[in-house]
Amino acid sequence: MRGFIRELSKNKVMFLMLAPVVVFFAIFAYVPMAGVYYAFTNYDPNVSMFKNEFVGMQNFDFLFESGALWTITRNTILYNLAFIFIGNFLQIVCAIFLSELPGKWFKKTAQSVMFLPYFISFVLVGAFVFNLFSTDNGVVNTLLEKLGMEPYDFYLNTAPWKYIIVFFNVWKGLGYGTVIYLAAIMSISDEYHEAAKIDGASIFQRIRFITIPMLMPTFILLLLLALGGILKGQFDLFYQIVGDNGMLFDATDVIDTYVFRALTGNFDVGMGTAAGFYQSFFGLILVLSVNYIIRKTREDYAVF
Amino acid sequence: MKGKLKRYGSLLIALTMLIAVLAACGGNSGNKEGASSPSASPSASDSASSPSAGGDSDKPDTSKKVELVWYLLGDPHKDTDKVIAELNKNLEKDLNTTIKLNFTTWTEWQTKYNLMLTTGEKIDMIFASTWADYFKYAKKGSFLPLDDLLPKYAPVTWSKVPEQDWTEAKVVASGSDKAQIFAVPATYPEYTPDGFVYRDDWRQELGLPEIKDLDSIEAYLDGVKKAKPKVTPINGKAFNEMLALFRATHQYENVGSGDGNLMVAKYSNPRDIVAYPFTPEFEAWAKKMKEWADKGYWNSDTLNSQKEAGDAIKAGNGAVYWRNAPGAGGYIVGVGQTNPDIKLGYFPFNRLYGYATPNLSVNNAMAIPKSAANPERSLMVLDKIRNDPKYFDLFVYGIEGTHYSIADDGKTLVSPPKGMTVTQDWKRYDIASWGVRVESMVREKQGSGWEGFDALLEEFKGMSKPNIFAGITLDYEPVKANKAAVDQVFEQYGKPLMLGLVKDVDKSIATFRDKLTKAGYEKVLEYTKTEANKYFDEKGIQ
Amino acid sequence: MRIKTEKSTVAFNTIGYIVLTFLTVICLIPFWVVLTGSVTPELEIINEGFKLWPNELTFEAYRSMMTNPGVIVRAYEVSIVLTVTGTALSLFLTAMAGYVLSRKDFKYRNGFSFYIYFTLLFSGGLIPWYILIVKDLQMKDSYMALLLPFLVSAWNIILMKGFMKSIPEDINESAKIDGAGDFTIFIKLILPLSTPGLATIGLFVALQYWNEWFLANLFITTADKYPLQFLLYRTLASAEALKTNIALSLNADTKPPSETLKMAAAVVATGPIVFLYPFVQRFFVKGLLIGSVKG
Repeated sequence: MRGFIRELSKNKVMFLMLAPVVVFFAIFAYVPMAGVYYAFTNYDPNVSMFKNEFVGMQNFDFLFESGALWTITRNTILYNLAFIFIGNFLQIVCAIFLSELPGKWFKKTAQSVMFLPYFISFVLVGAFVFNLFSTDNGVVNTLLEKLGMEPYDFYLNTAPWKYIIVFFNVWKGLGYGTVIYLAAIMSISDEYHEAAKIDGASIFQRIRFITIPMLMPTFILLLLLALGGILKGQFDLFYQIVGDNGMLFDATDVIDTYVFRALTGNFDVGMGTAAGFYQSFFGLILVLSVNYIIRKTREDYAVF
Repeated sequence: MKGKLKRYGSLLIALTMLIAVLAACGGNSGNKEGASSPSASPSASDSASSPSAGGDSDKPDTSKKVELVWYLLGDPHKDTDKVIAELNKNLEKDLNTTIKLNFTTWTEWQTKYNLMLTTGEKIDMIFASTWADYFKYAKKGSFLPLDDLLPKYAPVTWSKVPEQDWTEAKVVASGSDKAQIFAVPATYPEYTPDGFVYRDDWRQELGLPEIKDLDSIEAYLDGVKKAKPKVTPINGKAFNEMLALFRATHQYENVGSGDGNLMVAKYSNPRDIVAYPFTPEFEAWAKKMKEWADKGYWNSDTLNSQKEAGDAIKAGNGAVYWRNAPGAGGYIVGVGQTNPDIKLGYFPFNRLYGYATPNLSVNNAMAIPKSAANPERSLMVLDKIRNDPKYFDLFVYGIEGTHYSIADDGKTLVSPPKGMTVTQDWKRYDIASWGVRVESMVREKQGSGWEGFDALLEEFKGMSKPNIFAGITLDYEPVKANKAAVDQVFEQYGKPLMLGLVKDVDKSIATFRDKLTKAGYEKVLEYTKTEANKYFDEKGIQ
Repeated sequence: MRIKTEKSTVAFNTIGYIVLTFLTVICLIPFWVVLTGSVTPELEIINEGFKLWPNELTFEAYRSMMTNPGVIVRAYEVSIVLTVTGTALSLFLTAMAGYVLSRKDFKYRNGFSFYIYFTLLFSGGLIPWYILIVKDLQMKDSYMALLLPFLVSAWNIILMKGFMKSIPEDINESAKIDGAGDFTIFIKLILPLSTPGLATIGLFVALQYWNEWFLANLFITTADKYPLQFLLYRTLASAEALKTNIALSLNADTKPPSETLKMAAAVVATGPIVFLYPFVQRFFVKGLLIGSVKG
């Protein structure tokens, strides 16, 4: 404690610069965070939080009851891993091309256009997907028919949906992620590239030995940010594309959609919080372990 | 590592303290606000008390000026502010009160409704309904019991609303042992049975039988599909259609609510509650549905379809649309305007079982959340709106001359008002004022409505039986985990079966039943039975 | 040797153009479809789905959205003011925090990083947060409820910290020797060196404020205070609601075209921000950093 105070007086200004953010999170994140306790209580709106009846793990039951927990947990993790790795890979590729290619006009246009999907809401994405794959006059089936092939019942078969969902997620985040990597590339000092050019390195060599290693910290950072939410997220993506179609759930159901279906007609604060707690807890453990490993190997790359 | 831990430890302590301090500040400021508002109001009352002095002692005290916050579902009309300002002019004069009318908007109104009622936000009056979880919230103690307040503050309403309607609004809240009234029900008897809108012109053209039972429905679907291969009879989401038809065919009444509710009973034997997926009737139905789906009465993408079957009818490539009776009326009138060449018919499903049950009175109602600051005043305002034509017309129909006018008979409503036409800038004044409707105050509308509707209403009234199931108040509290799991299983396995989308019906039914058992449907069934029996005992229903 | 370099560069450029062109087209088509969809007659969409080119043009969806132009203009105002204020404030706080956390000589940087990161993982759920804002902070129906709850995000701060890390540490050292305070160093030296990072985060924050409808949906009850996205979202939702069972008794003549309306809303809401993007691009110019360090 004394060390903290000494540090405080030594680095007053830095603490002051950090203070607004610390206070912000204290109020808007940490104070309501006490609500995690609801995961273990029988919620009663008419009494204060800690007077709620403690029920232990009862609120987690609905996740286990139907035996779907394993499937949805596995699906969630696999989808998120695919999103993270395929997404980041493509974003890095785009960022490198955008930074290295000649042709200003082309680059600017490409960069702008790649950002467009970000603006298209998932409601519309869902409508597009239906338009592409619907049975009657879906674009794909119309095409198949024109080629003299049998139409395919997309909405009765689980097989194609993994690819469709990953595709649309990657597509939607492409511009967003590319900007981050582009900014990271812009921060790499030109001197490295100049030196390598003088040494006769080809463009592929320069990318392999200069650009990619310099992007690693950014990638690890984004990876760590994403890992914390590995059991969460993208509810809209899944819900708008798959909707209520139980025929596809084996391949497409994730925790968020499962919880939504279970609780939408049974609004319950305790159970909702419990599901969130399960997702967060898993993410926390994952992030702590990965961060620990990174800290042991490349201290600079760790987030904390 | 140890040193690091210690360092984090001290940091954490410091932060916790900071948070505690902040939390305390937050809490205090909240309290202060709460405490200051009543203290501020006496001063306001001082200035306003003089004019209303001299009323008889019976009359509730309105010397204090009050602004009420009311909530309705949905969105305001663009002129709502003007209308409420007009209303407030009168209210201020009569009751020294104004209201601020807020709307949940249609975007996720359920979430907002849940939030407002579970967090104890300060709201003076809110729309309540069986389909907006009225019973659940009343049971959980989100609403204020009104039994003692009604006679004093809403005397006209108290005396005019039929005893039966009050009874239907009564709920035994948890922790209480007597049934109390938690909402003022609208006085507007309604029948809203499900049914099919269909192309009567096509039926006649193809020489198909009059629709009167399941077989003639099948004949219609089959005939249309065969004669017009380009048409998908139910072109959109077919789930509601088939679920409603299934229940109606087997005279299964819902005990509980929601799509995912599996517990049903027959009117003739209400205590015999079963989970329908386990009946042979369901097995047979699932097979029939598979047949129907394979014949193309709907598309294989029906569960994902964004299309509205009613739009497909207008476009000429659909033939069936699921609506309740009033909804069908509205739809048929609409099609008559946009596509006069299409002739539609309507088949209410209750003809399949021969009786109709009116909605509960609390299908539309107004309730007062427990957090309300001025429940008395809200009741007084509601009493005015429900019983004074000046208020009622304003609240429900908008401003005379702008939104409507009265025909020469002095009663009938004309909208758009004389001298105006439906154009870009005129829109019918239409807010979700259903909670205050009173049948005797509702005005006949000129030149709108579907002629068939009155006949239907007569038909329903003729075969009316009291609604014995809707009053069973289920909140599923003791079995909520099972209920959530069962609902989920239904979504995943039940809906595809109901629409015949699965490859192997027998295997899918086995899976469905197995998953339901694992999810603990039996506990939900037991709970439903217990609650239902309690209710039946109380009402003397055998 | 020169020839070898050129060959590989040509190969690189060819692949690059092909890949980027392909991705560009994939990203452009849906947006084009949105644009044309917004001027296609409702029935055509219902019958035939979206197409690259409509048979018939109609501006019905825009007209139905613009029945009350005053409201739209007002919503634009709210959104613009909110975006500008929010972005400026948020970017400033995020940059300060990111900078402090990137300083190796700041002893508690890991502890504070974790404190901030932790908020990404755990939340108490909607209810306590709602109670905080509505009851404790009394922000219902105030502009503060639009500005404050998502003012800074852990994600952006940590990303900013990552960007700031790449600034050579010796800049701090040398400036300190010259007697500059931490805040002066931040304003005078660090900010000009971090333009790509600032532009990136600034863009993200601006997008977040511009797209804001969630907070408005929960907290704003006065129509005057609706930001643009929420106004459009509401229009859409009421069009959707008119299809649902609840609204069965509503009048048929109030039903707006809902399919094309979705498209038109997307166009109206994203148009302005799409034009903003090329403006931001100027900050992604290579050599900015090096120039400043040398200068």
